[in-house]
Amino acid sequence: MFKRTLRSRRILVAPLVLLAPALSYAQVDTSDWACESCPFDQEYRAEIEGGATYVSDDAVRFGNFTGYDEKGTYPLINGQGRYSGDKYLVDYTLEDIGLDSQAFDLSVGAPGKFELNLGYRELPFRRFGTTSTIFDRPASDSLALPSGWVPVSTTAEMESQLPSSLRPQNIGTDRQVIDLGANWNAGDKYLLFADFRRQTKDGIDISSAGSYTQASFLPRVIDHETDQVDAGVHYNTANASFTVAYYGSFFTNNNSSLTWETPFLAQPGATSLRMAAEPDNEFSQVSLSGQYRMKTWDTVFAFLVASGRGKQNQALLPYTINPDIDAGALPRSNLDGKVDTANYSFTLASRPSDKTRLQFFYRYDERDNGTPIDQWSRVVVDSFPSGEPEPNLAYSFEREDVGLSGEYAFSRKLKVSAGYDRKRLDRNYQEVVEQLTDRGWGQVRWRPVQWLDIRAKGGAEQRGHDGYDETLGSVLGQNPLMRKYNLAYRYREFGELTASIMPLESPVSLSATVLFADDEYEESLIGLNGSEEMRGTVDLSWAISDGASLYVLYGHDRIDAHQTGSQQFDWWDWSAFHEDRFDHFGFGMTWRPADGRFNLGFSLDRAEGNTGISLDSLSGGPSTLPDLESTLDTARIEASYDFTDRWSGTFDLRYERFEMTDWALVSQTTLPLVLTSGAQPYDYDVYAVGIGIRYRFGDDAISLAD
Amino acid sequence: MFGKKTVRKSAVLAMALVAIASTGVATAQTAEEEVTPPSYSRKGADTCFQCHDDQATLAVFKTRHAVPQDPNSPFGHGQLQCEACHGPGGDHAGRVRRGQERPPIPAFASNSTTQIQDQNEYCIECHLGDTSFAWHGSSHDDNTVACSDCHTLHVERDPVLATSTQADVCFDCHQQQRTQSMKPYAHPIRQDKMECTSCHNPHGGRPENSLGRMTANGTCYECHAEFRGPFLWEHAPVPEDCNNCHNPHGSNLPGMLSMRAPMLCQSCHSQAGHPSLPQDERGLPENNPSDLLLGQTCMNCHDQVHGSNHPSGSKLMR
Repeated sequence: MFKRTLRSRRILVAPLVLLAPALSYAQVDTSDWACESCPFDQEYRAEIEGGATYVSDDAVRFGNFTGYDEKGTYPLINGQGRYSGDKYLVDYTLEDIGLDSQAFDLSVGAPGKFELNLGYRELPFRRFGTTSTIFDRPASDSLALPSGWVPVSTTAEMESQLPSSLRPQNIGTDRQVIDLGANWNAGDKYLLFADFRRQTKDGIDISSAGSYTQASFLPRVIDHETDQVDAGVHYNTANASFTVAYYGSFFTNNNSSLTWETPFLAQPGATSLRMAAEPDNEFSQVSLSGQYRMKTWDTVFAFLVASGRGKQNQALLPYTINPDIDAGALPRSNLDGKVDTANYSFTLASRPSDKTRLQFFYRYDERDNGTPIDQWSRVVVDSFPSGEPEPNLAYSFEREDVGLSGEYAFSRKLKVSAGYDRKRLDRNYQEVVEQLTDRGWGQVRWRPVQWLDIRAKGGAEQRGHDGYDETLGSVLGQNPLMRKYNLAYRYREFGELTASIMPLESPVSLSATVLFADDEYEESLIGLNGSEEMRGTVDLSWAISDGASLYVLYGHDRIDAHQTGSQQFDWWDWSAFHEDRFDHFGFGMTWRPADGRFNLGFSLDRAEGNTGISLDSLSGGPSTLPDLESTLDTARIEASYDFTDRWSGTFDLRYERFEMTDWALVSQTTLPLVLTSGAQPYDYDVYAVGIGIRYRFGDDAISLAD
Repeated sequence: MFGKKTVRKSAVLAMALVAIASTGVATAQTAEEEVTPPSYSRKGADTCFQCHDDQATLAVFKTRHAVPQDPNSPFGHGQLQCEACHGPGGDHAGRVRRGQERPPIPAFASNSTTQIQDQNEYCIECHLGDTSFAWHGSSHDDNTVACSDCHTLHVERDPVLATSTQADVCFDCHQQQRTQSMKPYAHPIRQDKMECTSCHNPHGGRPENSLGRMTANGTCYECHAEFRGPFLWEHAPVPEDCNNCHNPHGSNLPGMLSMRAPMLCQSCHSQAGHPSLPQDERGLPENNPSDLLLGQTCMNCHDQVHGSNHPSGSKLMR
């Protein structure tokens, strides 16, 4: 999964070196280039670290992605190694072995001929550790009420039953990814590659569903499996390369539905309810891509043509499991869902002179949803027929993007560039059919002196459409004044300023960035009216000496948005203003004394988030919701000391404090008609200290051959 | 309504066109220049190591660039060794007069005077297939990023190729994304368990954000294939672009949402009845707790926001 891209790249990088000879070597007489002093690597070199890590407290969020979610002692095993022989090269890495986040990679190959890769990675997702549920789980696709449970009308009426019925239920999943890859250098110009990945995800997630007026949070079993394949052939010549590739992705959900007993009083026949889970699906795509380099104006023409098909043919559930409702037969037993995709790209990049660069691009994406459209007689939440058959809508779209840009260097100090692009988006079944976005930008890069680099970029964008079809939304009960924000007219201005100060003789460097984007939805009387985003960063680094350095950094993110709504189904009568803030401070240093035996690294981070919403309505007047606040403090000390050339001691201390407020997280009985999971905002303070021993195989130092 | 904005937009577009046109003029003025063939050193790497024999330089022999049995690695038989990447070193290694500054090696040295694009060509010459098809014209190419800005070649393991260290390399330039990665709801970049290249192709992906797959959604489905569908009942903005609702670089809000629910939903849904009601402090626990504001808000009932495959799921409740 996460290593796939990297691994694919590793797979490709080394062999492709084999495919293309180095620069014009045939033109250079290298007969005297004996490389007699070259110390080629012909040995096994590795380092293995072993030890233990102690975690001071239970903290689910600290264990999120790391595996350190419970108080206790964990193994500390890391390592990496490489063997270079006359014929074969072996390389491996071990990371956090024994934890829920463990990973290892192994590659074996004959340089210039073939390479095999094997990888394994786990990734824990820990969402909540404070949740509980009344539901028992007789099967992976069903939830049952505890014995003796008496259905009631509200959560308040459950209070007498809940203490004896609730049991802890952490929410989280684990991923495991197995990756097998291979490539084979078939001659001078061809490379065959294949990569297979199996990703499984299992655990418990929260869903929520219910009857018409009541709902329950449901601890749903996740049991997913996704197989993915990338395979193809590269063909390279001196000035061109082509790739024919296949990509396949096959998703399997081992639970097609979830059936649960409602803890609320229900109509006869509706005491058990059912929802569908994500259906199995598959997607296959073939592509041809390549680039051709022309000497004229140093031009590169690149293209990609891809065609894909997605399928989904899961057996459909019945309209309802309520035995008292005769909803009739389904129009079809399987969806026979089918989506065809097409993707094209053409890019022309040229350098007519040392001072000039030109680029033209065209992109096209299509999603053609060929899923059959039928009339469906919905049963509303397993309780009663809707009485109005309705069709499923097979959403399709086409996206085109065409652009031209150029850069001119007036001197080595000043470059100016500009560009223009137009996007067209065509949809079906939505309020806006054709959307056109025109965007223009300009950039100046100025390096008045060697140590100062300033870039300023600015532009504007107008997203228009051929008309907003209010009647389409009205059929669905939508206020005709609503303009959905992804469809609405939008005018955007944006700008970015980047400055880097890097004096050549000074140990101090400084860089800063500022970005803003201002969106106005001028035609939206209801919906999102506007938003403004501003980001800024400052980085300072100081190389104090050959063995010591430090950095200080700051980042700020701000997003403001304004929206309106209408509860009277007329002109807007309420508005909401959103303020989203985030600040990050970081400090770190490294120190390695002259003898090279001791290494110390220290980092400190503080991150503060704040989201506030204030509303004003005719019915309630001004109102301010409590801020959603979060504060993260982390500190890390990493140190090692080399006792000998082979043995080292390692020390790793991590400290993390996190607290947040979230008014949406409420107890099981707060909401009268929704039985929640009782998740509480995160609030923890935990440290993990690891002590280990590291052993090195082979020699680290390299000497020129005699 | 359009007046002021249209003027500003026109100015920007005019600036773009003028700049583009000026590049064409400049092109026409550029004359073919006579190019003197570059000279290489007399003995290749043996020449270089007469001066550059420090551990940092020699560490290249721990890498795949220095595998003699690989005929096409820089140190393969008949190859150009150090000068395969650093360019012809004849002038740099040649004699200089007393007081004369030694000419820089053409590529990948701090004092190199070669244009970045030309320095990169030394890499692309061999890695042409690896960078296919979209390096030229990619955002990194446009911003004159040198291969060596990201890749460290004279170390056994290039930090940008390792999960635990890659993001630090990217964040040297992408500082705003580093800030976002520290947000409370984010992909596991901060925990060193995910790479930027899990989603992005820094050598030039196809969509505008250099993503690894053909589209933004195609990239997300790499790990979230359960949402690909097609579903019987689709939520229209979902198959179009996951970024309509999510901020993949990080968010203050659960689910990496771009706006707090229920207001996010109310940016598109204003049907008469509960979707159009203002959700203010009247719905907080201490007042009259509202199941439209608390818990999973709209998703308390409409949980299947990514699509439903239930025949009765048109309202995304099943």
